[in-house]
Amino acid sequence: VNESEMTIRMGHEAWSEESPYRIPSRKLAIWLFILSDAVTFGSVLFAYGYVRVGTAAWVRPFDFSPTIVNGMVMTLILLSSSVTMLAAFERAKNKDKSRCILWLAVTMVLGLLFAALHIREWLRMIGDGWRLFQNPVGGPALFGATFFSVTGLHLMHVLAGVVAIAVVAVKYNRARMDTGHVEIVGLYWHFVDVVWMFVFPLVYLMNAK
Amino acid sequence: MAPAETRGVPAMKSYGAILVGLLCIVGIEVFSTYRHMSTHQLLLALLICAFVEAGIAVMYFMHLKDERPSLLWSLILALAFVLFMMDHIWPDALRLANLRVIFW
Repeated sequence: VNESEMTIRMGHEAWSEESPYRIPSRKLAIWLFILSDAVTFGSVLFAYGYVRVGTAAWVRPFDFSPTIVNGMVMTLILLSSSVTMLAAFERAKNKDKSRCILWLAVTMVLGLLFAALHIREWLRMIGDGWRLFQNPVGGPALFGATFFSVTGLHLMHVLAGVVAIAVVAVKYNRARMDTGHVEIVGLYWHFVDVVWMFVFPLVYLMNAK
Repeated sequence: MAPAETRGVPAMKSYGAILVGLLCIVGIEVFSTYRHMSTHQLLLALLICAFVEAGIAVMYFMHLKDERPSLLWSLILALAFVLFMMDHIWPDALRLANLRVIFW
């Protein structure tokens, strides 16, 4: 054992330790971030769930058309964007840079389309008189607070995801990021998709007429 | 070994099949919504569908099934523990529980 090896063993042992889950540290970091974000959404949805079920006079303002249909289209778009993100990752694994960036761009377009439909829905509701603490059809004003806060938190995640994908796409194109970064931003994007799987039934379908 | 151009094709086909499966679950959710169930029954049905959907997405889209089992269990158990504590143990949860309508 030479001196440099001794230094590594004695002074910098943690540097040479293997990851406990045999994944890169950045991937472990995004999983831990996802875990903490899942708790955030969990707490918001728990609070909403209790208020929703515990309030007898809760309003159900959403018609099948346009609101529920719009929500179904948004679900289709977001689920499809997960598949396009997977396509980008598959291309990145095959070192096919141009197609990877193409699929990342498609994912961003789908994310923006989702956000546009979401904002259109918000504007329609605001036009009908819905506010954070204002209910135009009578009943608990909490409906607006829960609807706008839950869907707004999710919408912020979608927009943040689009920005993150754009940053990764640009840096991947310049060879300043690699396949691992595409995978990590993909994990975040899929998580946003998973959260919508709870938001759509709990916030939209539970409030359908 | 398959050429690089075609290597990802089988994986994409399976992702397409998973997407169709997830959309079917969404269809079941919408169908359940208009079955005139009680609020509690509907909530239970929608939560079951949502957890199945999320489980499929986490395992296949996020590839958690391909990671070491220790990662899967660390994440799932930690999340379940925190959500359980938040929902059933912490004082605010007990206060909120009084708002809840009893299922049975």
